Amino acid sequence: MPEYMETMIDKFTFRVATDRLYASDGVWVFWVQPEDKTHVRVGLSDFLQQRSGDVAFVSVKPPGTTLAAGDDLAEIETIKVNVALPSPVGGTVVEVNKALELNPEIVNQDPYGKGWLAVIEIGNWEGERAKLLDPQAYFSLMRQQAEQEAKQL
Amino acid sequence: MSSSDDPFDLAILGGGPAGYVAAISAAQRGARVVLVEKQRVGGTCLNVGCIPTKVLATAAELLYRAKHAGEMGLAIPRADVDLPALMGRKRAVVDQLVGGVEQLLRARRITLVRGTAMLVRPDALRIVADEGGVRELLAGRVILAPGSVVAEPPIEGRSLPGVMTSTEALEIGQVPPRLVVIGGGVIGMEFACIYEALGSQVTVLEMADSVLANATDDAIAKRLYLLLRRRGMDIQTGTTVRHIERHGEVLRVVSTGPNGEIASEAERVLLAIGRWPNTQGMGFSELGLRMNGRAIAVDERLATSLPNVWAAGDVVGGWMLAHKAMVEGRIAAENALGGQRRADDRITPSVIYTRPEIASAGLTEAQARSRGADVKVTQFPFSANPRARIIGEIDGFVRLVCEAGSGKVLGVHILGAHATDLIAEGTLAVQLGLTADDLAWTTHAHPTLPEAMLEAALGFGDGAIHVLSR
Repeated sequence: MPEYMETMIDKFTFRVATDRLYASDGVWVFWVQPEDKTHVRVGLSDFLQQRSGDVAFVSVKPPGTTLAAGDDLAEIETIKVNVALPSPVGGTVVEVNKALELNPEIVNQDPYGKGWLAVIEIGNWEGERAKLLDPQAYFSLMRQQAEQEAKQL
Repeated sequence: MSSSDDPFDLAILGGGPAGYVAAISAAQRGARVVLVEKQRVGGTCLNVGCIPTKVLATAAELLYRAKHAGEMGLAIPRADVDLPALMGRKRAVVDQLVGGVEQLLRARRITLVRGTAMLVRPDALRIVADEGGVRELLAGRVILAPGSVVAEPPIEGRSLPGVMTSTEALEIGQVPPRLVVIGGGVIGMEFACIYEALGSQVTVLEMADSVLANATDDAIAKRLYLLLRRRGMDIQTGTTVRHIERHGEVLRVVSTGPNGEIASEAERVLLAIGRWPNTQGMGFSELGLRMNGRAIAVDERLATSLPNVWAAGDVVGGWMLAHKAMVEGRIAAENALGGQRRADDRITPSVIYTRPEIASAGLTEAQARSRGADVKVTQFPFSANPRARIIGEIDGFVRLVCEAGSGKVLGVHILGAHATDLIAEGTLAVQLGLTADDLAWTTHAHPTLPEAMLEAALGFGDGAIHVLSR
């Protein structure tokens, strides 16, 4: 079980798992095996899943798809929002989370665990690593984003 | 054998949607027409296809709605299927429509001959009449419209009791607790949804990697698959059926899937691998009629390789759809009487009566891309359409495949309640070469389902009003 940093903004609690890295848009990156830096699992941060709403459908690019960082990896459909999720790293999709087909709500229920989206094989880990935020940096950024949204409401 | 001394202007072999429409169309133009039909007029569509399946699908839909009436604020304590009454209604609707066609044929002074026809020369049919006797009919022109037959897969055990084709699946004495459908194409998926709503636990076995492969846009097929799986239907794709066994009252379908052998048990099995053009035993090969695979080869004006012989409907291959057959019947009739109308420049919508329904017109995204088009796809979900909310049918979406630069609508694909009605606007848009902008600036009444078409079109430009995209 990961440990979390937590903040409450306008009655909503947001958690950031401290055992992984993040793209600025809230897609997390977690290596499948600690010693193996070629395969990473990716998913939505708690803030990103709450901001998207109740997930009805998740459509992830199929295994075999090659992506650059920033290319669309997945689309999430909620009742009123379609969210395009860019891949946080460049590489090849090798596995998608089949469980989301029948139970997409797992993304909302367990965003850092069973709600993962895909496993991506990356060629150049060090190069990709440099573009990602550590948990503390993402936590600060996420708080700013959440506070800004709260002000707009 | 007797021979008619007075040749007809046009003889039509087959009284289905292609044949009877050709007959009426030619008669409207003043031709003396004879129509030969070995069973009842109306063909597969009216007798054992579109019409009876939709009667069952409508009842199944109502049953489902009645069972979920509580969601609409209605108390319907018990909703059940009354199968004898449903079968009776199905026969009544079919009889009314068949009777209507016969009446139209009579009113147009079309000679209806009941019997089995064989083309003996390009201008002569030999008829073995139902009431006995053989006669020869002479006609200046002939249209071949013998339709299609149920495809027979080479599966061991297909003749076991309890194994049905679509024709038998329309006439049942009781709803089987479990049904295995072999074939996840249009016919298979329609029956899967009907039997599911009537109360069967349904398993679909499909050889391709997707249900409705090549029948609609991939995104629609994928979404239907997810919706049905979530409703509890068992769908196995990439699965090849090996054989069917019978153990007492239970049929066991043995197949090979991506994860090895699967055995699916049920009280009934439906073989729904498709239909083939009906070309056997009518003298076609003896006369050297050119074929295109299993179908009769025709040119863009539906002329066959034989002089003064045209063909229309399922027998020429392509989409086996009644409305395509009807248009082709009109074209063949016009051309047989001297016209020059083309059959290949027409958009044929396809409609699939699954729950929810599916309808398509024009190119799928994959087809458009494979033709090298620079494509932009825009989509709008019914969950954001007020009318869909009101009727409690929020599953699905409208998907427009457009040319990226001009916004020209290349394809329209709809999954959702009343999709088969909604596609009319999409067909018109594609046929007339309209743009997303044309649709987006056409005022659509509110609150209606077609507003989803407008919203999808807005997505091509600035974005839909009633949904957010991030």
